[in-house]
Amino acid sequence: MDEERKNTIWRGLDRKAMAVAEFTMRQQRKRLSTWVIFGVGLTAMAILTMFYLDSMIREVEAIDNDGDSRDFDGDGYPNGQENLYGTDILNPDSHPGILDPTIQPDDPSKWINEDDIDWDSLSDDWSGYDDDGDCRTETRTNSQKDSNNNGIACDIEFVEQRYGDGIDLSADRGVDEDPDDNAFAKEATHRAFVLAMGKFGFAFLLGIFIPLFMATGLIRDEMTSGTMHFMLAKPIARSEVFLYRILGYLGLVWPYMGALIALVAIITGIFGPSDGFFRFSDLGVWAAVLLASMLCTLVYGMLFCMLGVLWKHGILLAIPFAAWELGMMLTTLGAPDASILRFSIIGWAMNIVDAAATLVWLDNGYLMLVGEWGGGSGESLQGTGGLMFFSSQPGLGISPLATIIVSTLVLLFQASICWLIGGAIFKSKEID
Amino acid sequence: MIPDPTQTGGTPNKEWQPNASFPVIYMEGITKNYGRIHALSNITLGLSGGVTGILGMNGAGKSTLFKLLMGKLRPSSGQVRLFGTDPWKNPAPYARVGFVPEHEKMHDWMTALEFISTFARLYGMSRKEAEQEARRVLDFVGLSDVANKEIGRYSKGMRQRTKIAHALVNNPDLIILDEPLQGCDPLARTTIMNVIRELGKMGRTVLVSSHILNEIERITEQIVILHQGKLVALGNLHAIRERLDQIPHTIRIVGEDAKALAKDIMDHEAVYGLSFPSSEELLIQTYHFGTLHAELPGIIVNNGHKIKVIDNPDDDLESLLSHLAGGTV
Repeated sequence: MDEERKNTIWRGLDRKAMAVAEFTMRQQRKRLSTWVIFGVGLTAMAILTMFYLDSMIREVEAIDNDGDSRDFDGDGYPNGQENLYGTDILNPDSHPGILDPTIQPDDPSKWINEDDIDWDSLSDDWSGYDDDGDCRTETRTNSQKDSNNNGIACDIEFVEQRYGDGIDLSADRGVDEDPDDNAFAKEATHRAFVLAMGKFGFAFLLGIFIPLFMATGLIRDEMTSGTMHFMLAKPIARSEVFLYRILGYLGLVWPYMGALIALVAIITGIFGPSDGFFRFSDLGVWAAVLLASMLCTLVYGMLFCMLGVLWKHGILLAIPFAAWELGMMLTTLGAPDASILRFSIIGWAMNIVDAAATLVWLDNGYLMLVGEWGGGSGESLQGTGGLMFFSSQPGLGISPLATIIVSTLVLLFQASICWLIGGAIFKSKEID
Repeated sequence: MIPDPTQTGGTPNKEWQPNASFPVIYMEGITKNYGRIHALSNITLGLSGGVTGILGMNGAGKSTLFKLLMGKLRPSSGQVRLFGTDPWKNPAPYARVGFVPEHEKMHDWMTALEFISTFARLYGMSRKEAEQEARRVLDFVGLSDVANKEIGRYSKGMRQRTKIAHALVNNPDLIILDEPLQGCDPLARTTIMNVIRELGKMGRTVLVSSHILNEIERITEQIVILHQGKLVALGNLHAIRERLDQIPHTIRIVGEDAKALAKDIMDHEAVYGLSFPSSEELLIQTYHFGTLHAELPGIIVNNGHKIKVIDNPDDDLESLLSHLAGGTV
């Protein structure tokens, strides 16, 4: 009975699958080109990570976004302090020093970064706390404290745009008007880096170039050299060989991608802005990056392997396709909901990362809005541009979780189609 | 050591069974064209059991024939059956086939043991079974002492023996060897020939190709001769050999004194012409190649001639083909 169970057809298939996959892994490991590709990937990611570390270590100069550290009337009291006590910032004879009890002038630096963003409430309908008290001051009337007319004094209101699906920011005067530039820049840069590395570094660049060099020749090289005869002279269907070769390639590529992504996730987790010793909150995004990268290497691997079987110069077919994917990747930045992205691989992979970022960083959209608002100064906070460039809304118009599930299924479907077509082409190929 | 035919390694294929109404190899009206080039023309062949030599010049269609049998090529017309199954459509018969391709390229980074056991697993063997079987066949071809050496460091003969061992690992009923002796040194040739003969004695169907008649002659009695894609002869070696002996041959001898040797040989009834390209070189024309070739060593030794080289500048096969094809070679 035990022998019978052991000798099932499935067991036989499993043995074949393992044999071909193991063989492929060993074969790839023995090739210098594999290690050159992996080395280049590691070096590129290491260089990008060094830029990140540099930006995390370097302090961003604090900017007086609302200009209230200055002393317009030269009475020695910064404008912010005068605003707080209701004296005239343009009259040197009107200052808190004439009040009873007498108020000593503040150091002007106290009025830089004195009213930071309220990070914990960014994802709510309204946010903001008047840290420096210049909105809450008793010298103001209730209507002055609620200049955005939302019924809440001294707040920032986030309202959906009447036309379009964006959000507008409407702030009471004197609220969060001088954010901590360093804190914002680090948070925004950190998120921008995670998205840039995840989407363009791992999912796109490594996701397309590794298969281009490693998968295109998986079958073709063996056909050209004549060694394919050893494999095909066995009771194994060619479509099985195709699939198992891909499994072997993935057996090497996926751990590599996993290790590289884990390494970058750990580094950014440690060096990223955080209250604790590690930014656990990003792990969800990194998991999505891993999923997207794995799926990209799978689909591109199947596709390029198929092109390699189709033509001995299959890489020449793969390169225009890579260019198409580059165009699609850039399209995801500006128009993530463009219909043409449905005809790409990278568009679906980007959806996964964007959806995960939306799920994990609930306040991301508001953070970009606040950064662009820049405390009402008219100038964006440092880091806003980068974050806005690399952030995209998942383009399917469904919930983020559903976007991840649908995109994953579509990518698996694409891989299956490539396998079926590749297997059929391989089956019809004469091998000399 | 001879492998035990009762040993079975792989998982049995419950879906596919050979069709007993067909011979092991069956080809009917097979034609294979590459554009306007006819690689094979209307080949009809049925083979079961014993060793069969496929003989033909380079480009005669031997490898094409094997690739059709192994499902690597699709016939332009006609049908191929391996154990009654079309190998182009169904790879299942390969469970009972061992194939030694002509290609010299191998996976040089693997050891022979790894190479054979890895590919043995494609028959459905477990890792352990595959290693056991690999050691068995490596022992059979005399490579067990270098089983753990990388193939890239093997001599040509050892590489060929590794390929043969790899083809035997599933205890096949049919073994196809495409030019297994090509490029091998004499010792390796002898070893490989012994292996092939042994397989024939074990009742396997063995197909072995070569473009050298004498090699095939030492292995088998049954010959298929291909010429320019056509089957020009099929049958017993002795019958064909007799026909070969009746056609003109040249024997080239290089020695110290060609003219002295010529004097001792010119009266032999098999000789009909002599010529001297140089003072040391003698060309003998004969209609009875076999007879003269058998007696020549005695004449040389008995008359004390010192000989450096004896060879047959007319390729045996070429002469035979010329004869069989009516002088069209």
